[in-house]
Amino acid sequence: MTVPSVVHVPFVTPDVATIVQGMTGRTGRRHARLMQAYGTLIVGGVSPKSDGDEVDGLPVFKTCIEAVAATGAVASVAMVPPLSVLDAIREAVTAGIKLVVTIAEGMPVRDAVAALEIVRAAGVRWIGPSTPGLAIPGKLKLGFLPDVSLAPGPLGIMAKSGTLSYEVCHRLVGRELGQSLWVGVGGDPVKGTRFADVLPFMLTDPSTHGIVVIGEIGGSEEEELAVAMRAQNCNKPVYALIAGRTVREGITMGHAGAMIQGDVGTIASKTRALTEAGAHVFTRIRDLIEAVAAEVGKGEQACS
Amino acid sequence: MMLLEHDAKELLATDGIPVPLGVLATTADIELPAALHGPWMVKVQIPTGGRGKAGGIKRAGTIVELRQRLGGLLGKGIRDHVVRACRVEQCVEGMECYLSVSLDPAQGRLRVLLSSEGGVDIEAHAERGALISADVAANEREAIAAASRLADSIASPARETIVSAAEQLIAEFFVFEATLLEVNPLFIRPDGSWTAGDLKLVIDDNALVRQPRLRDLIRRRADAYPEMALKLNHGFDFVVVNPDGEIGLVTTGAGLSMQMIDELAERGHHAFNFCDIRTGQLRGDPTRLINVFQWIAAGRNVRSVLINFFAGITHLGEVAKLLVTALNAVPELRVPVTARLIGNGYDEAIAVFASAGHPLRVEPDLDRAIELALTPLTGARR
Repeated sequence: MTVPSVVHVPFVTPDVATIVQGMTGRTGRRHARLMQAYGTLIVGGVSPKSDGDEVDGLPVFKTCIEAVAATGAVASVAMVPPLSVLDAIREAVTAGIKLVVTIAEGMPVRDAVAALEIVRAAGVRWIGPSTPGLAIPGKLKLGFLPDVSLAPGPLGIMAKSGTLSYEVCHRLVGRELGQSLWVGVGGDPVKGTRFADVLPFMLTDPSTHGIVVIGEIGGSEEEELAVAMRAQNCNKPVYALIAGRTVREGITMGHAGAMIQGDVGTIASKTRALTEAGAHVFTRIRDLIEAVAAEVGKGEQACS
Repeated sequence: MMLLEHDAKELLATDGIPVPLGVLATTADIELPAALHGPWMVKVQIPTGGRGKAGGIKRAGTIVELRQRLGGLLGKGIRDHVVRACRVEQCVEGMECYLSVSLDPAQGRLRVLLSSEGGVDIEAHAERGALISADVAANEREAIAAASRLADSIASPARETIVSAAEQLIAEFFVFEATLLEVNPLFIRPDGSWTAGDLKLVIDDNALVRQPRLRDLIRRRADAYPEMALKLNHGFDFVVVNPDGEIGLVTTGAGLSMQMIDELAERGHHAFNFCDIRTGQLRGDPTRLINVFQWIAAGRNVRSVLINFFAGITHLGEVAKLLVTALNAVPELRVPVTARLIGNGYDEAIAVFASAGHPLRVEPDLDRAIELALTPLTGARR
C-alpha cells in the first residue's frame, strides 16, 4: 500500500485571511459569524448573486477571483450544496486560494476524484468533503467544530467522524486536555486530506504531545496511517478509536465511506495495522480517555 | 452500496450487456419460464463477495434438484446475511476470464484488472501472476486503453472479444458512477460472443441524486435495499442492525451512532438500530423523530430507548420541544426513554421536559446515560 503523494503545504496559520464561498446562504451566513466570533480572520465572502452586498459588515463578491484580489484571502471555507462543491473548489483554486475546506456531505465520488486532480495539480490543500472542518483551538476554526469541545492543549486530533470526535474531545477537555490542531478529514472514501497526510504536521509540531485518531470501518485510511507511522518513525503516542466493530459487510453506515467490502475496511485489519505500528487502539471511549489522561496528561504537567 | 447480482445483471442487460438468462426466486416451488431450461446455477443474493466459497452457489440439473437447492439456501444465513432470494440462471459455457474496474480511493485513480483465468480462486491466479493490472487516471478513455493493453498478452481471437467486452463494461462503470465493477467469470467463446457470468457492481451512494435509473431500481426493490430506500424517502440514515435488539437508538452522527452500538455490545447488549438523524436538518419539524420512534416501537424486543444528541450548533431547548411532540405522537412506544443531551440550552431542555410531564430521564454524561438506558434490561435499580 502506498501513501498518496500530496503536496506538503502547512495546514494553516492562525491569522490566515479567509473567505466564505456561499456566504449569503443560511449556513454560510451563520457560520461566517460564528467563525469570526471564534477568532478566524474572515475577510469576505462569495456569492454569484451578490451585487456589492454585505453580510454582517463583510463584503460579498461575485467571484473568488474578485474576493482574492480585494482581500488577499489565502483560505476559503465553501458552504455550498454537495453538487456545487466541485465547482467551488475549481473556482477557489483558479483564484489562487491555497487552503479550501468543503463541509458539504454528499459530494459524488466522481466529483471528488476530479477535485483531487485539480488541487494536486495546483498544490492546494483541500480538507473535505463531509467534514466539520479544522481548528487551532483558541485561535481559529475553519468550519463548525463546536466550541464546547475546543480548547488549546497538547493533542493533535484527526477524525473521520464529526460527532464522535466532538464527544471524545469534549470529554478530554473535561480532563483539561485540549488540542494543538484538530483536523476533520471527513467520512467519504475519496477526500482531499487523509489521516496519513496529517501525520507529518503533528509529528513536527512542537505543541503536539499526543495524537488521537477517530477512525471507523471502511476504506484503508487507518492502514495507510499505520504505514506512514512506521515510515516517519512516529515518536509521539498515538491513541485510536475505531467505530463500527459490529457492522456487517455490504451495509453502508451513514458515511459514504463506512462500508466493509470483503477483507477491506474491517476492524480486525485496522486494529492490527495500527497496533503493529505502535498505536494504542481502543474500543470504548472511556478507555481511550483514561489512557490519554494518564500518559499525555502526566507529560504535560511535567513540561509545564 | 453494493447492488445484488440479480439487480446489477438486469440493469446492465437493458443496456445490452450479455448476461445468462435468469429469474429471481424467493420460494422453492418456483415455476420457471419455458425458455429458462436447465442445467441451472442457483446463486444466493446477498451483498457480499465470496458467496461460492461460503456455499451460496450451487448447480442443479433437474427441476427437483433445483427446488431442493432453493429449499436448502433460502432462509439460510450466509456470511452474516439471511438469504431472502436466489437468482436461478442458465449455465453458460466458455473460456473463463476475469475483468474488474475499481476506484482506488487513496489515489483517486482507477485500477483495471484482467486475467485469462477466472473463477473463485482469482486470488490464487494473482499470486501466480496470471492476473495483470494497470493503474490509470479516472476517465473512460484511459480505462479502455488500459484494458486493451492488458489484453495484448492473450491470444486471438479471445483477445478481440475481451477488448470488446471491456469497452462495453467500462462504459457502464462510468454511466452508473460505479466504484467497482467486477465480472468473474467473464465467459469468452470462440465465435466472438461473451457473457457476464457473475457481476458485482458497487455504486456511489452520493451520486444517486443524479442517477435516476439507480434511484428507480432501489425504490422498486425497496425490500432488498431497506436502508437506501429509507434514505431516499426520508433523507437520513436508519439501519436495523439486529431485529432482536433490545435498545433503540435515536442518535445524530454516523461515527457516534456506530460507537454507541459498539459500546452497548461491549456491555453485552444489542442495539436494535443505527441512526444518523442529523439534528441540524430538523429545522423545527418533528417528522424524522416521529418516524424513528415508530420504527423503534416496531422492534419486537426493544425494551429501552436511548437518545444521544451532541448538539454543536442546534439549541437543545428547541430539540426538547420536538422530542416531546414526537413522543406524544407515538404512544405505542411504551418503553423507558433516556435522553443524553449536551450542548447549548441544556437547562431549557430540562424545563421543557418537566413542564411536558413526560417521564424521560435526562443525563449529560454518556456512560451514565448508557447505564440508565440499560437498567430496564438488567433490572438493576440505581
